[in-house]
Amino acid sequence: MEKGMAEKLKKDFIAMNNESKTLVIIDEVHPMYETIKAQFETRNAKDAMASFDVYDLVVDLTILKTKNKITFLKELARTTKAEIISDLTLCWGEMVLKETPKVTGAVSLLFYSPTNNVEYYAGTEKAQTQIEGFLKQLGKTGVKHQDLKLGFHYPRVISMIVNEAYFALGDNLATPESIDLAMKFGVNYPLGPIEWGQKIGLKHIINLLSEYSEITEDPRYRVSTALKMTGKYI
Amino acid sequence: MEIKNVVVIGTGTMGQGIAQWFLQQSLIVEMVDNNFEFAQAGQSRIFDQLDTLVTKGKLQASDVANFKPRLKVKKLEEINPQADLIVEAIYEDKEAKKELFKKLDEMMKADAIIASNTSSFPITELGKDLTEARQKRFLGLHFFNPATIMKLVEVINGLETDRKISTNLITWFNQKGKVACECNDAPGFIVNRVARNFYGESLRAVESYDLNKIKEVDQVMREVGGFKMGPFELMDLIGIDVNFSVTESVYKAFFDEPRFKPHRLQKEMVDGKRYGRKTKKGFYSYE
Repeated sequence: MEKGMAEKLKKDFIAMNNESKTLVIIDEVHPMYETIKAQFETRNAKDAMASFDVYDLVVDLTILKTKNKITFLKELARTTKAEIISDLTLCWGEMVLKETPKVTGAVSLLFYSPTNNVEYYAGTEKAQTQIEGFLKQLGKTGVKHQDLKLGFHYPRVISMIVNEAYFALGDNLATPESIDLAMKFGVNYPLGPIEWGQKIGLKHIINLLSEYSEITEDPRYRVSTALKMTGKYI
Repeated sequence: MEIKNVVVIGTGTMGQGIAQWFLQQSLIVEMVDNNFEFAQAGQSRIFDQLDTLVTKGKLQASDVANFKPRLKVKKLEEINPQADLIVEAIYEDKEAKKELFKKLDEMMKADAIIASNTSSFPITELGKDLTEARQKRFLGLHFFNPATIMKLVEVINGLETDRKISTNLITWFNQKGKVACECNDAPGFIVNRVARNFYGESLRAVESYDLNKIKEVDQVMREVGGFKMGPFELMDLIGIDVNFSVTESVYKAFFDEPRFKPHRLQKEMVDGKRYGRKTKKGFYSYE
């Protein structure tokens, strides 16, 4: 990321304020963009243009993988005195937290959840309070991690399930409808893996698996070509 | 397609469930097991379950009174050769199944459909010694436990299976309230393949035995993923040994594909005879 990128993002991204002086940095393509924009603008629209310095907390919801996230967060840390909570859904969580000490907590808001609950990690009690407060404002409940190693549990497990469903499609094992029905009525999945992948966004699943593949160098994270084709990877 | 008479061979948990489901469709059902007394005990358990369903108000007493005389226990050589459908649900032994199918091929009427409830063996291989005509009427019917409640039936086409037969069976099952899904003959079929990483990836998130981490993964998969049970709770319920065996089978069948590689924590649990609920100790303790 170019130097001064955080400043550019500060202008380009949506900055919103609420009573607890929280700034959310969010890309328009983030699946929660409309929800967050609507909610926070309604409450504190006039503060949207305020500088970073007036905030107690900066919540970073940019969709970046590990290397770019670290670069972005390091720049962000230089521009604000506020504590930073970051969405690390697509990142090697442990590495990002080690490289960016000002990031005191992490959330996973990128992947659609059928329950509306959210995984998070808090490095301090203050971060836990801040994250729970933020999630509560979004109408979501947090499920806390005791630590953050490779990444959040739900995104990695569901990505592997969706990937396998696409491998099966690629092998002409069954139709997408049959695969979804089988998983719902054979093992009580709340959604079939094909429809689940569509709700999450196949691009995010491809990005997560590619990142895991690069980090771990484990071939188990190889992305199905059928998933790449459907997710318009190229 | 008309199915009036069904034979279920193997009267373990799956065989009993399958027999009971067919019985509840008002069909004539014959149950067969190598151990005749075991099959009789299975019949008694089905009758008890039907009575319980009446007590709970889920079935009418008059219906159950009609069902019971339709369920018979037979020796293999005594089964009705005019039965329309034979479902094999014996233990997972490939050679024993193939031997059984050869006998059935000779015994049963020409247009009888023979099906296997196997979860691990290729249908084409199980049917390869049958006559050419019978291979067309041979397929997989994979039910899920408990078969009376779980709606899914995987209808698996072997290479030689006549697609008209499987299509007609799918229609028949769907009319009877099941959800029948057609699939080709590949290891694990749909469910046992796609579900592998619900367990495998969760095991890798934990890496080594850590009860707090196990609880955390289960909580996340229930409360964020929306699954009814977490992966470790479910492995304890299914049996860690059973789950490990299915994983090994799929892994081998895919020629050591890394996506299906079993995890050493599973093996460690099996080696320690911590199979789950059935041994009172698995990932969790039940004592």
